[in-house]
Amino acid sequence: MRKTLLGLAGTVALLLGLTAPALAFEPVNVVHTEKVQVGPYDLTVGFSTWPVKAMQSLDFTFAPEDGITGKKGTLTVLHNGVEAEDDPLARHPRKREVWGLDIYALPEPGTWTMRFDVEGPAGAGTGELTNLQVMEQPGPPMGLSWAVSTIPLFGLIALIVIAWRRTRTAVD
Amino acid sequence: MTVNIAATAASSARTVPRGLVPASVVLGGTLLSLIGLTWDIQWHSDVGPDTFFTLPHLFLYAGSAISGLASLAVVLMTTAAAKRDRTIDPMVGGRAVGVFGRTFEAPVGYLISGIGAALFLVYGLWDQWWHGLYGFDAVIDSPPHIGLLLSISITMVGAVMIFAVARDERWGTYGVAGAAATLLAFSMVTVLGLRALPGGPVNTVNAGSAFFSVMILFMGAYVLKRRGGALAVGVTVAALQAVFWWFSPWATEVYADATGLPLRDYADGIPGLPNMIPMSLILVAVAVELLRGLPAWVPGAVGGVIITGLAPVQRIFVYGSNFPAIERYVATVVAGALLGALAGMLGRRFGHMLRHLAPAKEERHA
Repeated sequence: MRKTLLGLAGTVALLLGLTAPALAFEPVNVVHTEKVQVGPYDLTVGFSTWPVKAMQSLDFTFAPEDGITGKKGTLTVLHNGVEAEDDPLARHPRKREVWGLDIYALPEPGTWTMRFDVEGPAGAGTGELTNLQVMEQPGPPMGLSWAVSTIPLFGLIALIVIAWRRTRTAVD
Repeated sequence: MTVNIAATAASSARTVPRGLVPASVVLGGTLLSLIGLTWDIQWHSDVGPDTFFTLPHLFLYAGSAISGLASLAVVLMTTAAAKRDRTIDPMVGGRAVGVFGRTFEAPVGYLISGIGAALFLVYGLWDQWWHGLYGFDAVIDSPPHIGLLLSISITMVGAVMIFAVARDERWGTYGVAGAAATLLAFSMVTVLGLRALPGGPVNTVNAGSAFFSVMILFMGAYVLKRRGGALAVGVTVAALQAVFWWFSPWATEVYADATGLPLRDYADGIPGLPNMIPMSLILVAVAVELLRGLPAWVPGAVGGVIITGLAPVQRIFVYGSNFPAIERYVATVVAGALLGALAGMLGRRFGHMLRHLAPAKEERHA
């Protein structure tokens, strides 16, 4: 028992010791930008992948021309005119000088809109990035992906069926 | 009675009961998986930046690796014993079954826990391919993630089986409660996959949480088949929930500090995974204890109603969110009652199935 515990403690220590230097995060690479006029502010919306495809995650950046200092606001995401998300504009975790969404995917193809409400030293304003076209999802159809991914569940059900048939009598 | 005394005397003659060490390693591995998962979910919500080698990810990999290697070791030792015509003790993981003809002799509990760990590797590759195509999204309920969670769940089912074999020993009793509680807590994340199902007015995740938590609670209770069995599982789940409530945000903040990363703007620090576990489960456990004399579907339905009925209350209490539309609430509670009744009957039957794993008492006496 002591050996087992020592083994477990050793594994955890090894994990802790090895991971800290292994962390190296991808930088945010903006490959496409769109301009949005949000009241008195010029906002640049950056995309790390272009064109945008449904379910494919990417980094979005939202950069006012004169920086985010002293400003705050909200981002509302709409799909075909219906509100899908409404969140405060937060700094991008890997690009802290601008607002953004990290590794974020739009779930459905179609026409999306991003509405920005920004308040700052020059007052408040609203602006929209309209007509953001999101293409069909890449990869196999979702039904197939789900079928592959739920094989363990069906395996478990098969095991239960076998066990069920072999254990008809109750045991004390 | 004599049989029990003889069995207890035999086990107390050793310092460590036979079967306890590998069973504990498998359970320890599943606990590491659960710790890794709660930490990873919190990391994504409160901090964000991600690589293959984050510490929470390594806990997830290590959990399956440890459980898998322990299972493999037991299978190989059992195979070696069988080849030398030595008696195989069925207290270690249950009756041995032949694998690939009779190439391997695998105690059934360790076979299942090992298969879960092997599947984890396969689904790890599927997940890697998926991320290559869709990007490194932090979507917990993507198909490959659900495949990975299901694989870990299979290892956890194996752990329940391994301890169920020793249900009459004290360590077996505690182990069943611990392994069932780990599986229950973990399954509350796997049910997020049900968001992909069209539920109409029903909240499929709440209904699914009710189904799986009632089923696993009943399963644990009926394996132990003694007063307090359901309560033991319920209290262990509550203890895990309480520890993770503190641990998840704490570990996330400590790890972010250690790696020099800031917390997200507007990170609320609300524990993600612990909040997916119904706090009302302890009430369900009490109801199961009180309604012992009734057919399993009755306390099952009561359990389903308690969990789906109180899920929005928990959300209001933790997040301050609004009460759902009454039509959706009623539909979900009705689904909870029906699924709870089914889960009660299934859980009871699964408990009986697991009791079959223990060696027959005459064998143990010999």
